[in-house]
Amino acid sequence: MFARLTTALCVLLLGSVALAQDALHTVIDREVKAAWPTAKVSPAKPSPDSEFLRRISLDLIGTVPTVEETVAFLDSKEADKRAKLIDKLLADPRFARHQADVWDMVLFGRNPPGYETQRRDGFISWMRGNFEKNTPYDVWAKELLTADGTSDTTGAMYLAQWRSAPEDAIEAVTQTFLGVQLQCARCHDHPYESWKQLDFYGMAAFLARLEVVTVAQKNNQPVFAIGEKNLGEVRFTGSVKDAKPGDKGVPVKPKFLLGKDLDEPTLPKDFKEDKFAEKKAPPKPKFSRKDALAEWVTKSDNPFFTRAIANRVWAQFMGRGVIHPVDNMSETNKPTHPKLLDALAKELVAHKFDLKWYIREVVSSEAYQLSGRGNGEPMPEWFQHARSRPLSAEELVESWQVATGFLANETNKKDESRFRPLGRDYLIQFFGNPTTGTGDFQGGLKEHLYLNNGPLGTMIGVKGGLAEFVGDAKKPVADRVERLFLATLHRRPDDAETKKFTEYLSGGGTSADAVWVLLTCSEFRFNH
Amino acid sequence: MRCTPTQHLSRRTLMKGAIATAAGGVVMNWGGLTTQSAIAEEARRQKKHCILLWMNGGASQFETFDMKPGRPTGGPFRPIDTNVNGIKICELMPKMAKQMDKVAVIRSMKTSEVDHPGGIYLMHTGYRPAANVRFPEMGAVVAKYQGTVGGDLPDFVKVSSNGDAGAGFLGPKYQPFGIGSEGTLPTFSVSNMDPAKEAKRHDLRSFVEDKYAADSKSELAKMHREAYEAARRLQKGREAFKIEAEWAKHKELYGDSEFGKRCLLARKLVESGVAFVEVGQSSYDSHADNFQWHRGLVPPMEHAWAGLLEDLKQRGMLDKTLVVWTGEIGRTPSINNRAGRDHYVRCWSTALAGCGIKGGQVYGASDENGVEVKDNPVTEGDFFATIYQALGIDPKIENYAGLRPVPLAPFGSDVVKELLS
Repeated sequence: MFARLTTALCVLLLGSVALAQDALHTVIDREVKAAWPTAKVSPAKPSPDSEFLRRISLDLIGTVPTVEETVAFLDSKEADKRAKLIDKLLADPRFARHQADVWDMVLFGRNPPGYETQRRDGFISWMRGNFEKNTPYDVWAKELLTADGTSDTTGAMYLAQWRSAPEDAIEAVTQTFLGVQLQCARCHDHPYESWKQLDFYGMAAFLARLEVVTVAQKNNQPVFAIGEKNLGEVRFTGSVKDAKPGDKGVPVKPKFLLGKDLDEPTLPKDFKEDKFAEKKAPPKPKFSRKDALAEWVTKSDNPFFTRAIANRVWAQFMGRGVIHPVDNMSETNKPTHPKLLDALAKELVAHKFDLKWYIREVVSSEAYQLSGRGNGEPMPEWFQHARSRPLSAEELVESWQVATGFLANETNKKDESRFRPLGRDYLIQFFGNPTTGTGDFQGGLKEHLYLNNGPLGTMIGVKGGLAEFVGDAKKPVADRVERLFLATLHRRPDDAETKKFTEYLSGGGTSADAVWVLLTCSEFRFNH
Repeated sequence: MRCTPTQHLSRRTLMKGAIATAAGGVVMNWGGLTTQSAIAEEARRQKKHCILLWMNGGASQFETFDMKPGRPTGGPFRPIDTNVNGIKICELMPKMAKQMDKVAVIRSMKTSEVDHPGGIYLMHTGYRPAANVRFPEMGAVVAKYQGTVGGDLPDFVKVSSNGDAGAGFLGPKYQPFGIGSEGTLPTFSVSNMDPAKEAKRHDLRSFVEDKYAADSKSELAKMHREAYEAARRLQKGREAFKIEAEWAKHKELYGDSEFGKRCLLARKLVESGVAFVEVGQSSYDSHADNFQWHRGLVPPMEHAWAGLLEDLKQRGMLDKTLVVWTGEIGRTPSINNRAGRDHYVRCWSTALAGCGIKGGQVYGASDENGVEVKDNPVTEGDFFATIYQALGIDPKIENYAGLRPVPLAPFGSDVVKELLS
């Protein structure tokens, strides 16, 4: 009996060892494929090289390849050329910049709350540094939530968004870093989840004592530090429905979500608190609730934390989370592929929150590399074809800069604005949303008024650029059309396209308009 | 945030609505793709329109429709008789006094957002702002259910008004088209391209889009293309935005004011087929000198409003055009030490006219000082439900916000039947 049990145990152990030896991308494909028959979906074909090249470039470095890079990749006969490309892009400096953009939208959006939060150069370069150095996610997340240091060189701007609004801050922190939504519990006990109102206020209590202190001025902008007082509580008044005017409620002590109360030292009875001085770094409190929260949130044994990041980064590349939406993991919102999510989270912890490694595994999967040609659904639930997403304002303008030859040929290199020569305001207005916020978002009428009647021509008309090449009647027309397609859509034209564009160019159509058509078409507008 | 039971439903039943993700895995709710086109088709067939007169900042009920003469909260203005027996309104509104047979006043609004941003969101969408659902504005809803497919003009036009909730989860097709305070079209509206050259370019673009649509069947590409087509058609419809020729004839009717011009433009757009036009007037936020502010703002507004009702009536359009008058909040009964009134939402007034609204009535009542609702409270949800019902749109219709089905008017709201004929 004992022997049999031991054997069974050995088999089990061996089984799990064998599992652990599989690369994560192999596990991904096994789990994704296993769900197709039950879901009654059939997968798309593997993506052709051109489709993969464009998709991976936009996803990793936020822009498209040049004609030369495109031709080199398409014509390469190397068996491992995709893996090599992935490694090259992960090592590209633009990788860190693009991931910082992505996280800037996750953590702020286009219209963050708070005062002087619109310009976030300090935050963005800090975040870029995290990806350049490949700082483990739990390390930088903890740094972000601890918010020591000032907003010009660290992530302190994040908590500076919420002034005297611990409830708003904790809503965002739990939603982003733990993937759970507590906001319903702000006003009433959650009807279908286990959160109670007191859970919400218990979490908010961790951030109740924060104060944004302006410590300096730099580049016409205040520099913030996050101060924390020794005193101050959130107050709970009961259900909003039954709230009575003038009722200030009872103070709530910090309590970890689904966990225990925070054990904190008591202050002497006669303790008096000083105000924070302006232009001076605020002193640390005797005991920091904020740090206790940061510590608890980012611990590798916090299942909310590990699953939330595994799921979020998965969704960044696969269109939807294994739990979707990514910031609403709850008892009533179950994963589509439970074993997959377990494996993703477990392996990410085993690899010490190495996001670069994790991203490499996800994009190396066959699932990520499927063709986007499916039933047209932008976010396929069973990952049976690649997702489609609109390019962000930054991706769009930088892809235009590459495709038109503007980046290679611009004469005025002094202008380092990312949106040159078009200007940031209109691009953010017409293409900057959706992110997390409200307001105008892309895809509407105004986007096309801008494309149709706006200043795109100034970029297309760059000297020595694509339009010049395409319009050069001395070159064979087939070459010109081919270059046009390679530059904009990263593939060669088919016969019908060659014919149509040849007729257009030889029938009085201008090369600038031909370039315009391909810069504004759907195949360019989306990553697919 | 207030949540309704429908917001908590299990995802399994709701899978259909989720469609896209933006850069960085941030959820983008281009929902509503899968919703009931048949319902939209039926509503559209009835061709109803809506003009929203938006009193930005929050007009005072005490200086418009809910007078409290002789009370400490009453203020200096006197009530006047109207063309409806027993209904009195503020002396600042003599033109509207002659239109009261067309108007139903609600004196018992009780809403839930007392500040401007929240109130503007609430009174444009019917919902309080929420972290995880982007509710559409009334204009986007009407555009969806009463819009003209393939028309030259956008279905939702905002003339110098407020609110940025836009189409929310209904998607980019129903985004508002914003016009400046002088009636100017937005930047980049005008094409300077030679039409023949543009037609050629359009033909080439269509070829490219056709091919991609056939290959990818992409829903996003379809929406992208629809918006492109609408932008292009706008070049043909641009004349509808010009009121110069008509203004001279209508100046007297609407009153010679910017708001008057905007109301004439609204009528012209509705006549040209636009489903929803919002016209804004700013700003009633009279924390100081409330009475002076109203003395300045109300007369041109009421003149234009009365002219609009008269004009719609004469053209036989009032039966099919709902005119909504509201702002985001009301104002306090108490008058502060700067002769101002602050924000107040426990009891305030709005008004509706046209499109099957039973005019010549006051619905609901405030107490003697205008502090609390005495009879028949109307919530924002009831207000929106009634508006949608009047426009032939069932307020219970659900659209998907990502995974959640969301009714047009919040769950639990009631149509105020007394307001409808």
